[in-house]
Amino acid sequence: MKIRTTLPFKTAFLATAIGGVCAQPTMADDKTLTVALYGGNWGDAFIGCVAQPFTQATGIKVVPEIGTSTTTLAKLQQQKAKPGIDVAWMDGGISELAQQAGVLDSLDATAIPHLADVVPQGLYRSGDSVFAVSSGYYSLGLTYNTHEISQPPTSWNDLWKPAYAGAVTLPSPANSAGVPFLFFLAQARGLDTADLSPLLEQLAELDTSSYYDSSGAASNAFQSGEAIIGAHFNVGAWDLVDKGLPIGFVVPKEGAWATDARLHLIKGAPHKAAAQRFIDTALTREASACLAEKLYLGPAVKNVQVPPAVATKLPWGERGSLADLRMLDWNTINARRAAVTDDWNRKVAR
Amino acid sequence: MNRGLRMPLAMLAAPLAFFVAFFLAPLAVVILASLSDTANAWTLEQYVRVLADRYHWEVILVTFRIACLTTLVSLLLGYPLAWYLTRMVRWRAWRRVCVILLVVPMFTSNIVRSFGWMVLLGRKGLLNQTLLDGGLIDRPLRLLGTETGILIGMVYVLLPFMVLAIGNALSRLDASHELASADLGAPPRATFFHVILPLTLPGVISGCIMVFTLAVSAYVTPALLSGGRISVLSMLIFQQYSSVFDFHYGGALSVVLLIFTLVMVGFAGRIGRTRGDA
Repeated sequence: MKIRTTLPFKTAFLATAIGGVCAQPTMADDKTLTVALYGGNWGDAFIGCVAQPFTQATGIKVVPEIGTSTTTLAKLQQQKAKPGIDVAWMDGGISELAQQAGVLDSLDATAIPHLADVVPQGLYRSGDSVFAVSSGYYSLGLTYNTHEISQPPTSWNDLWKPAYAGAVTLPSPANSAGVPFLFFLAQARGLDTADLSPLLEQLAELDTSSYYDSSGAASNAFQSGEAIIGAHFNVGAWDLVDKGLPIGFVVPKEGAWATDARLHLIKGAPHKAAAQRFIDTALTREASACLAEKLYLGPAVKNVQVPPAVATKLPWGERGSLADLRMLDWNTINARRAAVTDDWNRKVAR
Repeated sequence: MNRGLRMPLAMLAAPLAFFVAFFLAPLAVVILASLSDTANAWTLEQYVRVLADRYHWEVILVTFRIACLTTLVSLLLGYPLAWYLTRMVRWRAWRRVCVILLVVPMFTSNIVRSFGWMVLLGRKGLLNQTLLDGGLIDRPLRLLGTETGILIGMVYVLLPFMVLAIGNALSRLDASHELASADLGAPPRATFFHVILPLTLPGVISGCIMVFTLAVSAYVTPALLSGGRISVLSMLIFQQYSSVFDFHYGGALSVVLLIFTLVMVGFAGRIGRTRGDA
């Protein structure tokens, strides 16, 4: 008898509790904004540099929805009919896929006045409408161990130097930078990007220490001395330098491959006006400088002033500028991603 | 409804709902994706693509070779270890300490432990440094990015499962069987091979199945210790889901891995049963 009375009671209690939790955001509907962003120090920086100033100015609470770009895109596709996310940060490449999936709204310069301050290449258009705006660039530069390599490398061809055999690390295609980096490396070595087979054959002969899936694995390889040279993100490399490790980061003469973290307004966003205001906040010089200081993201906003110590760590290197970054066309890369990955598996990863 | 049935059913409802929502439903999604193409039409195309290609068979071979070797090495190390824990340790507290030592690494993340092995097995790692300093080798051995490296990491991660399964079987063994065997004049060797081993075989088989299934589907350890230079099936699957976004092909790869594993497990279960009956 006991179970018959307590079980429904408990179920009812549980249902009330769950209902209560779920109902909370709707009760405070006008006072929250759901923003999809990355985890770790990236997410912390986005919250510190953009969300907090936004909340201070508007009183609207930002609810972070943490996930990688890929996860965010998957969520957006599932919620297409009734989105729960207002604004999403997604990386270049995934941004184009989101646009093709039809989950993005266009960014309107009248509602987001700071769009006018963004460099032209930081606005991503499909036809006439802007579907994404860059909130800062990061690059994959030549990173090396300053103890083992006294003369800073100057070219991507240096990876093939016999002295570095067995101690080279590069991104694998499972990393978001892996496939575009292959296109870039082919260009840097003067190969035709229409057929990457020759490059993959050269890579198969290159005595690498590892191909990394995650930026963390690359940092680990440099930290342990497993890798003494390779391609690493400026964000991760300078983080190692800041920790006092003997690491150097250079943008070689062929330039460095780069991409950006972009902001998107979600189609059918429950709080559109607040979302536009949020994106506008992210495009202020203050927010952009803050992201540059915290993540060494190269500002896409014009005339951002950063301290000299930060300026040398930006994705274009010490003396470079935005022009040194090689940003490839993501649509071409996405179209060939499956084939290149397959070719890589057969030629390199075996 | 019968009152006697109502309570077990009520108790089953929650785990059953959990099982359906978090295991069957996702599995169904994967299977459906593997049987369709981008236009959502039914097709076996993905399976043809996987199975008609020599490359995939090579990857399957590597995957199963690593999993089988992991199981074998875990068994060879795990049986004596379980024996030591259940038979030779007389002091209870020490046995507890040993079991805790065995289990504690499982509380830390697989990623951390694999990174630990990267430090130990690396070019400048402890192992190579020791061998170099001892004059045993002239240049560092290459362990990371080789099947040996993956094997070392996998055995370390999975050995506790084997020891616990075998230890459980050994500790439940009735001592009178051994006494009877000795009484009938069997030397200890014969007692072990004809009495103890067959009686602990169910534990051995369940340990092997656990280790094998975990090894064949492992992602983190092979991904980190292979340094992307060797591919196992789980890595190909991850690639399709994480960066290529071809869920049809990735789904087919997953189902192929699942079926091959089930066949191997069914095979192992059969060995256990026939030997157990004899």
